[in-house]
Amino acid sequence: MIGTIPLSDVLLASGALFSIGIAGALLRRNAIQIFLSIELMMNAANLALLGYGAALGTHQGQIIVFFVIAIAAAEASVGLAIFVALFRHTETIDVNKINLLKW
Amino acid sequence: MTTPPLWLIPAIPLVGFAVNALLGTRLGKSFVSAVGVGAAGLTTIVAYARLIPFASGSHAPVVEPLASWIAVANLSIDISFRLDSLSALMLFFVTFVAFLIHVYAIGYMHHEATDAGYARFFAYLNLFLFAMLTLVLGESFLLMFVGWEGVGLCSYLLVGYYFDRAYAAAAGRKAFVVNRIGDYGFLLGMFGIFAAFGSLNYSEVFRKAAEHPAQYAPALSIICLCLFVGAMGKSAQVPLYVWLPDAMAGPTPVSALIHAATMVTAGVYMVSRCNVLFRLAPEVMLFVACIGCFTALFAGTIAIAQNDLKKVLAYSTISQLGYMFLACGVGAFPVGMFHVMTHACFKACLFLGAGSVMHAMADDLDIRHMGGLKAKMPITFWTFLAATLAISGIPPFAGFFSKDAILSSAFESPELGKLLWFVGLFTAGLTAFYMYRIVSMTFFGQFRGTKEQAHHVHEAPASMTFPLIVLGILSVVVGFLGLPAVFGEHANVIEPFLAPVFPPIAGHEGAHEALPHATEWLLMAVSVAVAASGLTLAYQWYARQGGRTPARIAASMPGAYALVADKFRIDELYDFLFVRPYAWLAHVLWRVVDVLIIDGILNAAAFLVELAGDFLRFLQTGNVRNYALTFFLGLIALLLFVVGAP
Amino acid sequence: MSAGRLAFDAFALVAVVFAGLMVAGKDPIKSVLALVVSFFALAATYVMVLSPFIAGLQVIVYAGAILVLFLFVIMLLNVGREKPDGSRRPIQTVLGSLSVVVFATLLLGMLRGSGARLPPQAEAVGPEQLPDPAAIARLLFSDYLLHFEAVSVLLLAALVGAFVLARREEAP
Repeated sequence: MIGTIPLSDVLLASGALFSIGIAGALLRRNAIQIFLSIELMMNAANLALLGYGAALGTHQGQIIVFFVIAIAAAEASVGLAIFVALFRHTETIDVNKINLLKW
Repeated sequence: MTTPPLWLIPAIPLVGFAVNALLGTRLGKSFVSAVGVGAAGLTTIVAYARLIPFASGSHAPVVEPLASWIAVANLSIDISFRLDSLSALMLFFVTFVAFLIHVYAIGYMHHEATDAGYARFFAYLNLFLFAMLTLVLGESFLLMFVGWEGVGLCSYLLVGYYFDRAYAAAAGRKAFVVNRIGDYGFLLGMFGIFAAFGSLNYSEVFRKAAEHPAQYAPALSIICLCLFVGAMGKSAQVPLYVWLPDAMAGPTPVSALIHAATMVTAGVYMVSRCNVLFRLAPEVMLFVACIGCFTALFAGTIAIAQNDLKKVLAYSTISQLGYMFLACGVGAFPVGMFHVMTHACFKACLFLGAGSVMHAMADDLDIRHMGGLKAKMPITFWTFLAATLAISGIPPFAGFFSKDAILSSAFESPELGKLLWFVGLFTAGLTAFYMYRIVSMTFFGQFRGTKEQAHHVHEAPASMTFPLIVLGILSVVVGFLGLPAVFGEHANVIEPFLAPVFPPIAGHEGAHEALPHATEWLLMAVSVAVAASGLTLAYQWYARQGGRTPARIAASMPGAYALVADKFRIDELYDFLFVRPYAWLAHVLWRVVDVLIIDGILNAAAFLVELAGDFLRFLQTGNVRNYALTFFLGLIALLLFVVGAP
Repeated sequence: MSAGRLAFDAFALVAVVFAGLMVAGKDPIKSVLALVVSFFALAATYVMVLSPFIAGLQVIVYAGAILVLFLFVIMLLNVGREKPDGSRRPIQTVLGSLSVVVFATLLLGMLRGSGARLPPQAEAVGPEQLPDPAAIARLLFSDYLLHFEAVSVLLLAALVGAFVLARREEAP
């Protein structure tokens, strides 16, 4: 329990967000949208971490999430840079069409 | 002066081998000769330094251990050497004859070979001497086997000395393979001995067998049979004799040393050494006698139709070895060993003489091209004649006493004795006939070769004639060591000398009443008469008539003659029965088992891997979404595993 | 159902709904905007879970910086709508949907089973101190100092990397 909020509610919300994020990552062909889905997944994880941290009565949840957000920022910038470079070459954002490593 | 240790006797030629093998090519022929002959001579001196005190002393056996070789569980083999009457006798003539042949080889091989070939020859000769001495002096079956295999190896190396000639290389291989078949029997016999007696040392095995004959007798039939198979291979008895005539492809000193005087007698030595075991297996003894007798006759009949000088001598050797086994088979082991000794002297002399003739005839050995060589090669002629008379059994030459002793022992043997005696007698006549045939065709009459050969004929150099003379003299006198009892109570020196090696066995004393003297004289007279008639017949037909009568006889029965001249086509029979099926089997094993099956399995494995790869590569779609899906599926699997586990 | 819980559930629902809109949307701009709303709702839920500092960070960094960066890139590259693709092999879609369903079920099952049970706590911090940013800052600069510095180096690396990756290639 976190105040009056049962932990299971938090976890349910987190799980739902994560599943939506996975669905987006697997089923979309637009690279930007895949990326956004991944960011959503990370946020779902953040929520779960914070929930557990509060329920366990420790600061560690918040600390971890702090770092996660920082790293997410770094990752997003680099990922978008890659995306920009890729788009310059291929003129497409359809991930299906980027298959140079095909057998 | 301290007595030299026994192990020194085989060690000296081993050192000679090592020196000549490693340094010989670089240091020239004189050095090689000095080392090779020197080693043989030195070991003879050392051997005699031990022999003379032994012979004049108490004849008590001496065993000198050198080192422990195998000490595992209940198997303990030492390297020990034994000097008793039997090994002393062997040592006596093996070293001396080997030394003479080494001297002979200097002259014979001098312009035969390059420096490298010369060194190789003498190295192998020394190695052979080492192996033979180990065989003779070893105190256990295992050590004898080491020497046994060693002489087989050297036989292969030396018969195939001219390895660039296909015929010689094949002959070497044949000698080794046929010997190997015999060795298999020897090995089985050794296993049997160890299983039955728990030891491979002579002293232990023979003591146990002599003390408890009834306990060991049942196993000994098989054991002795196996051992005799080994002897058949090494000493060229039917059916394992086929290698010996082919082995004449080697240089003549090799034929003289290995295939006349020493290696081939190893089988007889082995049987004599194991006399305690054989005497407890009378069926095997009878078998030995029959094989020996048959071989003597068989080889003798082949010899009368051969035209190659060395081939006749080879068949003659097989025949004489048959006589030795005949003697052993009827229980007269000392007589067999006596014949070994006399045979060594006169057969070596014959072979060396043949080598001298070969030298003179520019390597042509066909006696139909020879004739009248007596005038130009007197030393060779007289020594050859002396040895011929010895082998024919004419008194007072050596062969007479030994052969006559064999025939009388056969005569008085209770089982098949008279038959064995009669066949032996007939073979003696054959022997005299074919030996004098070659003497006549080679040395008497007109020269039948080419003009160039006629010019080339010359007597051999001193290094070759000296051994001939010594051996010729020995062929005459060495027989006097074994005079039969009719000449006096103590006339026989050999038999009492060898007696300790043939101890009495409890409950198996052979009822050995000596033949009445009258019978003995009669038998002697008969054998002399048979031998003399053989000689005269040969003289008449070949020396006097130039071979017209035998030619007419051969023409009148061409099929039979062809069969005999073709050595009864035994080689062809073996080829058909054994060699071809074996070659076929090897071919099948190669083509089917090795190439098809084994290689096929490997290739199939590789093919399967390739196939798998061909399928698996479709996983690499290059599409990142597919990879992400794969990750996710793996994650689900992991979750299922974690959740499902409890 | 207490007020706090109700509030939490409401905000969580908003977050989930807009996340769904984000995933389903065809226009990338619309997706980003939906995600922004979702993140705001999430920030509210963070507050409910006694992490206001993190909620602030969420708004500032995540919604305010990262998603804005996304918007910039989309507009820079003029990324259009996703065109329907005549995909010959639907295996990705089929298997993907299936696996997501399975996964969701699994998560639900785990939650029902033992997910919400907690091990006994030794030193629990009270709900008054949890939201305190000063406590977090103290921890960051003492126990987690190494991590802090490492992340700053990481940010530097990311900066350099992004710069290198995205620049135009100079004409020789």
